[in-house]
Amino acid sequence: MRPMRLAPAVLPLIALCACGELTVPDYNNTSLDDLRNNPTPAKVAQAAQGLLVGTRTMFGPQNGYISLLGIVGRESYNFDAADPRFITEMLIGPLDGGSPAFGGNLFGAPYLNIRNANTLLDAVGETPGMSAEDMDAVRGFAKTIQALDYLLVINTRDEYGAPIASGGDPRDPPAPIASKAEVFAHIVQLLDEAKTHLQAAGSTFPFTMSPGFADFATPADFLEFNRAIKARVDVYMGNYSAALTSLSESFLDTSAPLDFGAYHTYTTGSGDLQNLLFDPTGRAILAHPSIVTDAQQRPGGSPDLRLTTKVVPRAEGPRTVQGITTDVVFSIYNSNTAPIPVITNEELILLRAEARLFTSDIPGAIQDLNLIRTTAGGLGNYAGPSTEAAVLDELLYNRRYSLLFQGGHRWIDARRFDRLATLPLAVAGHTVQPRFPFPEAECLARVPAPTEGCG
Amino acid sequence: MRITSSLLFSLLVALWSVPLHAQDRILTGTVVDSASAAPLEGARVTVRGTPLGTLAGANGRFALRGVPAGDFGITVRMIGYRAVDRLVRAGENDIRIAMVRDPLELDEVVVTGQATAIERRNLPNAIATVSGEAVSRVSAPSVENALQGKVVGAVIQTNGGAPGGGLQVQMRGVTSINAASEPLYVVDGVVMSNTAIPSNQNAVTRAAGGSNPSLTQDAQVNRIADLNPNEIESIEVLKGASAAAIYGSRASNGVVIITTKRGAPGAPRFGLTQRLGFAQASNSLGTRTFNTLDEAVDAWGDDAALYFQPGRTFDHEDQLAHRTPLLSETVLDLSGGSENTQYFLSGLWKKDGGIIDNTGYQKQSIRANLDQQFGSRIDLDVGVNVTRTLAQRGLSNNDNASVSYYMVLPFTPSFVDLSRNDDGTYPCNPFIGNCSNPLQTAAMMRNDEIVWRYFGSGRLGISAFQSETQNLRFNVLGGADYFIQENDLFFPPELNFEGDDGQPGTVLLSNTHSLNLNIGANAVHGYSPASGAFTATTSLGVSYADRDQDLSRITSRNIVGGLDIVSAGTNVQVIGQRQRVETVSLFAQEEVLMLDDRLLLTAGINADQTSANSDDEKLYFYPKAAGSYRFVSPLEVVDELKLRAAYGESGNQPLFGQKFTPLTATQNIAGLPALVTQGTVGAADLRPERQREIEGGVDATMFDRRATLELTFYQKNVTDLLLQRTLAPSTGFVTEIFNGGELRTRGLEVGLGIIPVQTANAEWVSRINFFRTRSKILDLPVPTFRAGGFGTALGAFEIAEGASPTQIVGNDTLPDGTGIVRKIGDATPDFNMSFSNDLRFGRFQLSGLLDWQKGGSIINLTKFLFDLGQNTVDFADPITVGGVQTTAGARRLDLFGRQTAVYLEDASYVKLREVTLAYTVPEDLVARVWGAAQYAVISVSGRNLLTFTDYTGLDPEVSNFGNQNIARNIDVAPFPPSRSFWFSVRVGF
Repeated sequence: MRPMRLAPAVLPLIALCACGELTVPDYNNTSLDDLRNNPTPAKVAQAAQGLLVGTRTMFGPQNGYISLLGIVGRESYNFDAADPRFITEMLIGPLDGGSPAFGGNLFGAPYLNIRNANTLLDAVGETPGMSAEDMDAVRGFAKTIQALDYLLVINTRDEYGAPIASGGDPRDPPAPIASKAEVFAHIVQLLDEAKTHLQAAGSTFPFTMSPGFADFATPADFLEFNRAIKARVDVYMGNYSAALTSLSESFLDTSAPLDFGAYHTYTTGSGDLQNLLFDPTGRAILAHPSIVTDAQQRPGGSPDLRLTTKVVPRAEGPRTVQGITTDVVFSIYNSNTAPIPVITNEELILLRAEARLFTSDIPGAIQDLNLIRTTAGGLGNYAGPSTEAAVLDELLYNRRYSLLFQGGHRWIDARRFDRLATLPLAVAGHTVQPRFPFPEAECLARVPAPTEGCG
Repeated sequence: MRITSSLLFSLLVALWSVPLHAQDRILTGTVVDSASAAPLEGARVTVRGTPLGTLAGANGRFALRGVPAGDFGITVRMIGYRAVDRLVRAGENDIRIAMVRDPLELDEVVVTGQATAIERRNLPNAIATVSGEAVSRVSAPSVENALQGKVVGAVIQTNGGAPGGGLQVQMRGVTSINAASEPLYVVDGVVMSNTAIPSNQNAVTRAAGGSNPSLTQDAQVNRIADLNPNEIESIEVLKGASAAAIYGSRASNGVVIITTKRGAPGAPRFGLTQRLGFAQASNSLGTRTFNTLDEAVDAWGDDAALYFQPGRTFDHEDQLAHRTPLLSETVLDLSGGSENTQYFLSGLWKKDGGIIDNTGYQKQSIRANLDQQFGSRIDLDVGVNVTRTLAQRGLSNNDNASVSYYMVLPFTPSFVDLSRNDDGTYPCNPFIGNCSNPLQTAAMMRNDEIVWRYFGSGRLGISAFQSETQNLRFNVLGGADYFIQENDLFFPPELNFEGDDGQPGTVLLSNTHSLNLNIGANAVHGYSPASGAFTATTSLGVSYADRDQDLSRITSRNIVGGLDIVSAGTNVQVIGQRQRVETVSLFAQEEVLMLDDRLLLTAGINADQTSANSDDEKLYFYPKAAGSYRFVSPLEVVDELKLRAAYGESGNQPLFGQKFTPLTATQNIAGLPALVTQGTVGAADLRPERQREIEGGVDATMFDRRATLELTFYQKNVTDLLLQRTLAPSTGFVTEIFNGGELRTRGLEVGLGIIPVQTANAEWVSRINFFRTRSKILDLPVPTFRAGGFGTALGAFEIAEGASPTQIVGNDTLPDGTGIVRKIGDATPDFNMSFSNDLRFGRFQLSGLLDWQKGGSIINLTKFLFDLGQNTVDFADPITVGGVQTTAGARRLDLFGRQTAVYLEDASYVKLREVTLAYTVPEDLVARVWGAAQYAVISVSGRNLLTFTDYTGLDPEVSNFGNQNIARNIDVAPFPPSRSFWFSVRVGF
């Protein structure tokens, strides 16, 4: 028997093998194409809920938005022994786009959610069985969240600008880097388009809001959230009269609790995230001691209530790392399920105070500030001069203590009013970083690399 | 499955249609050592040109049924002896074969395909072989430990000192960047999984929460560690595509073919090996001594005054790794059988303590191998193996939670007393934010990895046709490798650090089920014309492989009542992951041996189809061709000179899931289901990497077989690399996985064997191995990217066109003060060399193995951590820089961020891997002491006894990220290394 005689027996089998399929599905995930190509109302609802997951991603971690902006804005420290770059990079500088957890951070996560929103916006129009009203509700929601994510990006990159993502094939060259003004204009455009969609929507959303957005769970209520974000953007842009309009359409309410607003929700449920800013022993996250020393005194001589409710002495005593000492930790997030504010009534009143201050309504500004001072701080009414400069100082003080460690407000404000140089330096040689560079990957993907923001 | 079984059926049909000759002649005989006349059990006797063969049993006796009626040739082989070719005349029925010792093992037969083998003298490739005796000489936790320094061309390094394994094997340099890094392990024809599954200690260490999110920082064990080295008969290592092409798309990192021991006919023989030993820590880092209170306060703040007492220091490392644990290993084996049925049974009971509390390694294993012949045509081999291992791994490697031993020690001054209080509690470590006390952690935590593994293999051989000139044989083989790995970790609420997240107590439980199924069939046709001009061997085969791994993890925090069960937590997280890859593989191979067995030509092709490819219906082809020619006595002192050349291609499959663009469905917000983009995009045409290897070499045997030289050059070009294109984050994606680029690895391997002394009473065998590899990225269709590390300030691996793939880049400063990122080192060693010597003198045998690695760089981040703590042993050593007085540690810290090279160190080392002194007790003494015993050998041995290195870390063999193609040699708080000493007795009955 020669080999050739065996061949007839084997060759057909080889052919048989060759045309068989060996299909193994992805057991662990669904597919992006499936949402894009075969959207259903249920999938669209889950993708919409996914936007709340995506926009929350970078708030809770110990190297997230609040933590890192807190460090550069001298609200907080991170003394994690495992990584000295919380000090060497964030406090001494320079920020390094090649450090994914530091200088190159706070970029990918919002863009990932911008992608989520773009995918959802593509899919929603193609969803059989979904009413036009529901489609508008989803669009209004998605564009608002997308605007919020762009705002987080431009808050850290500031003058470097940021790309306005196309939502197209990720293998295409990345979108050009737009200027800061263009990005803000895009944010305004998204918020205004969202407004139109929300006004065209019905009385309910075709998906469920997280508990943190429980008060904005209808398109009409969510529009008030949309306008609140718009007001923050207007103020950041210096469009103070537009801000007053936005605020009037927002959920600002001087008779409502100051903490009324929208929040990121955390739970210990499996698959959910926890608020990792909760660090009761100050293993890593500690408060900046200047919060204690800078607090104003109440009439009885005790300090601003916002100090005592948000910061406590560290039970284990002071910690010193690399020449930096602090003895206070935060009590703002008092559990690993504490919600993190997105925007609250308290911030809206402060935004109105600022808008009034710069639209020649200083008494109105003082009135708003007094509300915050007395309600949140337990302080007396403002007794300083009614000059624009003095009231601005008072405004920034109140913004600092009211919005403490909830999103880098002190740093952003100091930058807005050219006061970065006034932030306290613990050790000679420390610097205040004005903005974050682009991540190294963003620079490498661009030929030629951008001249600004790429080390 | 269906496809394969239909093939088997066809083969069986084909089989029964073939006529057979009636053959009744029986040949019996005895095989003995030519010098001592001692019978040689286990010698393999085969009838040349046929598949007929048997093993010599007790007393060296063998019987072969169905041998040809006329004159015919037989070949007798035995490891360590020269092969004997003998003509058996028509009238001879009982013969005596005397074999001559051959310590350099020149006449062994080496497996070259999935169904065929070639004599070493004709081998066209440099295939390394390691005998079972060499593997089991000194007790090893994992088989790779026992291979260190014994395989030319293979860099084998431990990832850390934790008990129970965790080693990486890299054959012939870098072969991939993102695909599998480990060789394929084939045990008795069945693929054995070598997957490494993290323990989920990350839930406590939060290592992945830092700047490198890799989940492989759990000091995970690659599962080939479950093998019992004592039951291995031989290991053959196919190092690259030119030798391993027949294994297709799984062969790019080489193939390790392991054969287990089998029985031989004769009365039952029983062997007992009892080993007892101890281990001890073999290195420590030391810490800074503070001589004055001022010095202590300067480094640690005013609090130092509360603890500092002049002259009082504590050696925390010694307190941690304080144990000198007992090691024990009992091996039982029983073999025997009749002419038609042979069995081999083996049992192992191993229990090694660890140098740190609550660490150690246990392995229990039972194997039964059964060979059954049915007449002269059909034979069946089956093997069953059940193994249980328990590895207690302690807590090592990177963390972001100040819990891992060596992450805490850098920030703990030597003047602080961490010792247990009299009431059983442990003091708070005052200089760590969460009070973490490593002595308490070691005493109270548990990190157990329990594996139950069931491995079964079977082969049915059918001799379908046999004549004077031809034979045809079918083999049907298959097997299953199933294991359950349970990772059971417990961090009780009483641990100082456990309260720092407000959720005291953590229980982690992970269960992984892994099933590897293999089924295959092949046909081997041998043809040798009556003229004897050539021998042609044709083989054809098909195989199906399914590997399926299903993992579930439970992370439970805030443990009520401190119970050690996941349901006691109030915060419970669950993760499930399944991955599965199916592969169908076809091969055909032709080997022709001609010109008086001097010229060997071989060619073959493999075709693979796998579910991991984007196109799961497409076959990818991997051809090979090789040739060798032997010159007999070309020069006066040269017995034989062989020139050889080989070319082959192989693949490296995409990993499961890489072809998908997923939308994660496992996240939620307050229980609301959510779909979110995961960040990875799979290319539409994802396919295996392709390796093309060309190998050439010269083998010489000299001085009447007293010296051998094996010289090999190779070049591998790997194209279609599975690359991760880092997408601009602004696209909303992080990476795209696609094929592209080209990587080249070149190398040189030299193996030298010498027998300087060979007399009746004394023998000295010396082997020297040398190898070096160099790799280069020839083409990279993506921008330069990082393939590991923690950013450039701490050193990172960078893949760049024209550069070595294992180059390490870091921050550096130009003379004008400008900061740049540039190459500061390379993890690939300059070369590796090993020296092995075996001396026999009378009844004594002394063996030693010295392993030398020259060069290679390590990123020593443990040292960096100690510097940050101002606690490095040399921190306060005064030095002068540019006329300014400073200290060594302050200087390094000053340069940190600007000059990463201060934490880059040379990985060169010389290690005394193994030493054994054995004594064979005289038989009459054995008989007097224990009548039933036939022989006894006693020995003392040691593993990793000495290390000579300038490396200032714990061990220059280190990898925080476990088994990696590229990102090895990163030292972050590893488990400290140990050495072991053994006393062994082996008795045979």
